[in-house]
Amino acid sequence: MPDIILALLRIIFLGLVYLFVWQVARAIGTHLGISLRQSRREGSRVVMIKSETQQGTEVDVQDVTVLGRSPEADVNLDDPYASEFHMRLVAHENGMVLHDLGSTNGTYVNGRRVIAPISLRRGDTIQVGKTVMEVR
Amino acid sequence: MTRNTEGALIVAASVLAAFGVTLVNFAQDRSLDAQTALTFLVFLIAFGGLHLAVRAFAPKATPLLLAPVTALTALGFFQIYRLDLAMGTDRASFQRWWILIAATLASLTLLVFKGTTISILRRYRNITLLISLALILLPNLPTDWGFPLRGLSVNGSRLWVLLDVGFTSFQFQPAELAKLGLVAYVAGYLADHQRALREARRRMGPIAFPEPRQLIPLLVTWGISVLILISQRDLGASLLLFVGFVLLLYAATGTTGYLVAGGFMGLVAGVASYLAFDHVQRRVIAWVAPFEHYENEGFQIAQGLFALGTGSLSGAGPGLGRPDLIPNASTDFIFAAVGEELGFAGTVSVIALFAVTVAVGLGIAFRSRDTFRKLFAAGLSFVLAVQTILIIGGIVRLVPLTGITLPFMSYGGSALVGNMILVALLLRISHEEAP
Repeated sequence: MPDIILALLRIIFLGLVYLFVWQVARAIGTHLGISLRQSRREGSRVVMIKSETQQGTEVDVQDVTVLGRSPEADVNLDDPYASEFHMRLVAHENGMVLHDLGSTNGTYVNGRRVIAPISLRRGDTIQVGKTVMEVR
Repeated sequence: MTRNTEGALIVAASVLAAFGVTLVNFAQDRSLDAQTALTFLVFLIAFGGLHLAVRAFAPKATPLLLAPVTALTALGFFQIYRLDLAMGTDRASFQRWWILIAATLASLTLLVFKGTTISILRRYRNITLLISLALILLPNLPTDWGFPLRGLSVNGSRLWVLLDVGFTSFQFQPAELAKLGLVAYVAGYLADHQRALREARRRMGPIAFPEPRQLIPLLVTWGISVLILISQRDLGASLLLFVGFVLLLYAATGTTGYLVAGGFMGLVAGVASYLAFDHVQRRVIAWVAPFEHYENEGFQIAQGLFALGTGSLSGAGPGLGRPDLIPNASTDFIFAAVGEELGFAGTVSVIALFAVTVAVGLGIAFRSRDTFRKLFAAGLSFVLAVQTILIIGGIVRLVPLTGITLPFMSYGGSALVGNMILVALLLRISHEEAP
């Protein structure tokens, strides 16, 4: 066996070992990544399930998100009963907290009017005027 | 990572084993022979079979554990084969059988626990302890009696049992299985007494110390370790048992005092055994000054260091070094042999694979909710980690050489069987704790 081919095969062998190690590391990365993303996503997303013009809109809440009729709000609510700055969603380690910003017509979580900041869980519904949102 | 990726990586590791064997053949001017195909098939059947067993018996187990273990076995195997060619031994074919047997026993372990839970080991922990102690004492059976089961001394350590079944005889080290039973017992004991152990403590400055009464289990283990050291002259097993226990005690209670007390007791036992036993003295001399005692005590360590040095960055190449110059290269010093032929690059990949294996094991422990399963998984991971650190540390002269084999890589059936069952237990725990 010529030395040059042997030297080449030797490097290929080491390369393969490292390719393997890299694949294992990548597999672990994706494995952990998926579970991390799932736990972060859980209950930190709001989907408009009933709205005249915004049906199906998804809002990913990171840090602080203000929803309202004003174009200056982070997320625009196209609902005549919504206030200019209607409510604030604050992302949390496990889920998020809803603050009503003194809106005229109020915010309802699972049918009850919000008077103090309230933690939201996956599956809760938020109603503002005629718009209904669900926490996912 | 899905189970399918795991399967693909197992196939890749089998290819790696076969490729290594082929390269060794080429380097030694041998042609392509049946060894390549045989190696690939054995790895595929053994680890592929275990993979299928996981699918069938523990489908929710982590898919991250088997791939690195297969790769470690592959890297060790090709080096065992390489040493065979140099020394004229036939260990590779024995090892192939042991790989098949170990994978079968690991699959059987998964099957046994399929209908029940691993917690039965907690319920019947006293029986587990008795069986383990019996296994440890088994090699102390007389060598020259009529009974087909006999004790055996190899290289001055009384660790072996010879089973004579008429036409042939088997040699195995029962302690390799006993260590799993001991971990199960200790995990069960600590799970039952965790609260008492955790609460009873006194503060001494920044360090919390346990009540004297709570040190009794530590003292008992210490006694057993010393006993093993005296009766079987086995420094490695004795150290593994004690260090593993102290770590598990710390993991269960979070009391740093156990580490301090354990370290102190270990030191006392170490100094005392250095003064009392010549086999411990030889190990220490070889560790402190291998080159000054190159002709006798230091020879093995010095040869190992030469091998690592010769290997340099990328190694001499598979089949192109002289790892056969190291005494016991295929058992204790397989890491140095890999270092000579694959170089620093190869040894780093070995350490990375071990790190991944232990990290996955500890990850299983972290995610477990049940205390027993948590401590059992942690203990099994500690056993793997401590063995790896002790032997690799011994080879690179970080700690005295203790004569422990490198898990999955060294030649030796009992150790392979024990460690594969250890992996099966970790897989079972992760299956039971899966959300």
